Amino acid sequence: MRRLLVFLGFLCTVALPGLRAETPAEVVAKAVALEDKTDEQIALIKSLAPSPELLSLLTLWKEGGIFLVDLPDKSKLPVLLEEAKDADGKQAALLLQSGKPYADADGKPLRLLASDLSAAETDSELRSAMKSILDLAGLAAPDAKSRLRAIEIVGMEQDLAKLPALKERTSSELDAEVKHALLEAIALTELKSAEPETVVAACRALGELGSIRSQDALRLLTKESGPQVKAAVEALQKIERHLVNVNFWGTLFRGLSLGSVLLVAALGLAVTFGLMGVINMAHGEMIAVGAYTTYVVQCVFGPGLELSPFGLHIALPSLKATGWLYDCYFVVAIPLAFITAALAGILLERTVIRFLYRRPLESLLATWGVSLVVQQLFRLTFGANNVQVASPSWLSGNWTIHDVGIGWNRLFVIGFAAVIVVGIFQLLARTPLGLLMRAVMQNRAMAACMGVRTERVNLLTFGLGSGLAGLAGAFLSQIGNVGPSLGQSYIVDAFMTVVVGGVGSIFGTIFSALGIGMLDQTLQQVLGNPVLGKILVLAGIILFLQWRPAGLFVTRSRSLEN
Amino acid sequence: MKMVNQSAKALLALTGMVFTHTAIAADTVKVGVLHSLSGTMAISETSLRDVLLYTFDEINAKGGVMGKKIEPVVVDGASNWPLFAEKAKELLEKDKCSVVFGCWTSVSRKSVLPVFEKNNGLLFYPVQYEGEEESKNVFYTAEAVNQQATPAVDYMLDKKKEKFYLIGSDYVYPQTTNLVLLEYLLSKGVPLENIGGGFKKDGSGKIISAGKYTPFGHTDYQQIVAEIKQFTAGGKACVINTLNGDTNVPFFKEYAAAGLTAETCPVVSFSISEDEFRALPAKQLVGQLGCWTYFQTVKSDANKAFISGFQKWLKDTKVDGVKKEGRVTCSPMVLSYDGVYLWKQAVEKAGSFDVDKVRTALQSGLSFDGPGGKVTTQKNMHLTKNVFIGETKADGQFKILKEYKDVFGEPWLKGTFKAK
Repeated sequence: MRRLLVFLGFLCTVALPGLRAETPAEVVAKAVALEDKTDEQIALIKSLAPSPELLSLLTLWKEGGIFLVDLPDKSKLPVLLEEAKDADGKQAALLLQSGKPYADADGKPLRLLASDLSAAETDSELRSAMKSILDLAGLAAPDAKSRLRAIEIVGMEQDLAKLPALKERTSSELDAEVKHALLEAIALTELKSAEPETVVAACRALGELGSIRSQDALRLLTKESGPQVKAAVEALQKIERHLVNVNFWGTLFRGLSLGSVLLVAALGLAVTFGLMGVINMAHGEMIAVGAYTTYVVQCVFGPGLELSPFGLHIALPSLKATGWLYDCYFVVAIPLAFITAALAGILLERTVIRFLYRRPLESLLATWGVSLVVQQLFRLTFGANNVQVASPSWLSGNWTIHDVGIGWNRLFVIGFAAVIVVGIFQLLARTPLGLLMRAVMQNRAMAACMGVRTERVNLLTFGLGSGLAGLAGAFLSQIGNVGPSLGQSYIVDAFMTVVVGGVGSIFGTIFSALGIGMLDQTLQQVLGNPVLGKILVLAGIILFLQWRPAGLFVTRSRSLEN
Repeated sequence: MKMVNQSAKALLALTGMVFTHTAIAADTVKVGVLHSLSGTMAISETSLRDVLLYTFDEINAKGGVMGKKIEPVVVDGASNWPLFAEKAKELLEKDKCSVVFGCWTSVSRKSVLPVFEKNNGLLFYPVQYEGEEESKNVFYTAEAVNQQATPAVDYMLDKKKEKFYLIGSDYVYPQTTNLVLLEYLLSKGVPLENIGGGFKKDGSGKIISAGKYTPFGHTDYQQIVAEIKQFTAGGKACVINTLNGDTNVPFFKEYAAAGLTAETCPVVSFSISEDEFRALPAKQLVGQLGCWTYFQTVKSDANKAFISGFQKWLKDTKVDGVKKEGRVTCSPMVLSYDGVYLWKQAVEKAGSFDVDKVRTALQSGLSFDGPGGKVTTQKNMHLTKNVFIGETKADGQFKILKEYKDVFGEPWLKGTFKAK
């Protein structure tokens, strides 16, 4: 919306009387009205000189901010809608070509309903034409990120005509990353030069830069003849070495992030299964509870939600939040996911598990039954289809450091896992509750004799484990599907992680999660096959457990039960 | 049934319209519907059941097939492949259905195939498939590989794409399709090193698998997306995606998070239609491409009538378990719809419900003006139809970018493209 205001500001300055060459707004309005005639649209927008006004117009168009009104003579009138809506949801409209209010024959301003209008569409051809205009203008964009994008794209076009524009930027560019991209783009473009010396120099430069995107162009060069071939081969070798580095660090990061995902999913189980010894097959469903909680919170922040389980009709209110407020939904969802899952866990403990503490096999069967029931409950409440959870914008970008892509959501899960782990250790080691938990887990009968209310501690410990599963669900909703069978896809991995780490040792769970994550990613990288990698990891785990049945970290207990 | 049919015809000849109309009104023809109404495939296949029931009602309202009302026999394959074969047997042997409309996955089709061949039944199969099959007991209204995958590649070559990354779910359709695509790309002069995803070779060095495959329910696409990013870094690249169902969600989430977009490196998907968008976040896929023989956005009167008819039917229907809100139409649904009308035409041309006679009529080149444009039956039991390339919009619909008219359905493609 800010863009709209900026653009309107431009209109005020540009559309002064007296200027009678067609303004960019008029030309764009004409192009928009042409609708499906892509070629003519492209010709029109290419006829304009790049200007900030044109840029904001094109961006607005690309993002669906321009609407079309059907006129009685079957032609279309492009308009913009003002932000403010009245009680009927109608908005004031401005003519795109002049910025004046859209009015009827008597000059009375008309108000329109956005849902009655169609947004001006673009297709990929038109968008790439727009992009090429935006990119060249983007070389001088004020923020480094869009400058970087623009430079990369111009470089890939290898258009010698654009070389001066690139070179002009080198002197004024201060940002190191952008400068790197700029040099790369210049060298890439110079590969097309007719002079062999320039090409050789460009090859050398690309090799120094470790330019991954120039590989294809360099490979083409090696098929030619002349001094370029040797230079290109040398450059390729250098890039290859750079790639080895990139892949090493990339794999390390990906392994760490996969390990963190495993860890987050398994930590709750490390408490309920590891510490308490309850085989809870419904652990996966506790994860799903967390994920669905996130979904519900998102809906409340966004469009609202109507559910009709068992013939009941529940309508949740809508906050109709947008922008940063909407992005905050995830921050609210995290604690709520913990609480909801913890409450579900406490309910499960009270109704089923507390009767089965001494009978692991029965508890396995009973919780498996519970997991089926809960899955069906999800189906009845939210439908059999997956539900859509959109990631907030602060989780959907990435940083690229020396060609290693670091996704924000992946970075987030690593931090998230670290916070949870520290939190659990603090809870177990520093709080009275933690002390009681450890006491009960070590020797229930003795703790009871000392006056500890073991029932209550069991309840709270199980609630904690389930709440942790809920946290996992909240995060997993950001990277995968949220559906009734979400839990099933993580339960096996979670058990595997806990067993390999050593039942009873949270420390072991951390080690095994990170280890399995690393191993999986490394094997994938080496073998180039995701299935084979996973099979090898599983086979490795089976062999490992033959050798060390108690897992990585064996907990020695003084209790006589075992 | 045959006796009744013949006496009805005799009556028609003897006594004229008015009398026969009342005489035959009670007369029906049994038609089987064999889809999964429960289990993993239910999400997609229930829509096909719905559209079939709608089509039957539409035909019955106009007097039925040769004066007989269609009586649907709906059975549930329950996403269980051996059960599909059992249910097919039941439809053919017990209910004596004249024709069966059904199956979605290739494995369900393969499992019912022997049943149909043994009983000389007739199955109409409506979902894109890998080809390399031609049975006299199956009519494939489905897209063959050359009605979906190769036109999509043509489109990408048109757009000056030089590098192709193949990724898919690990089962028969993506594996076979990608092998055909590999041959096709090589025949178009794309060098082997410009085809990404990796190759598997047998002992003699022959490529037996091309592309990257992940199992159903795979969640971690970090490594693959990092590989795609490096592969496509030089530009002029695209991804050919045959991932199935909800594995597309983690893939596209990772794809977007890595900073890859439809503008820098478009993805063409073959298994995501409008109906799938009911369960997929369309936002992450905006601008990515799809290729089918029908899109809901096709502008034609036949399509308008089909959509409004179906929506009205949804509103009025009393059939149990039909979801009424947020429904869309998609290619497999339209191909089911086309199939019913083609069968009706063939029966009327043959003047009989006998499978052999209906087949002969089907093979004689019948045409029907369906929602996706004109379709024509072929001698090889496939369908000539229009192919569309579309771009995903934020509302889960497609903007049509390109149309290939009257593409001949060719199931046998392996080995037909010669490398340059």
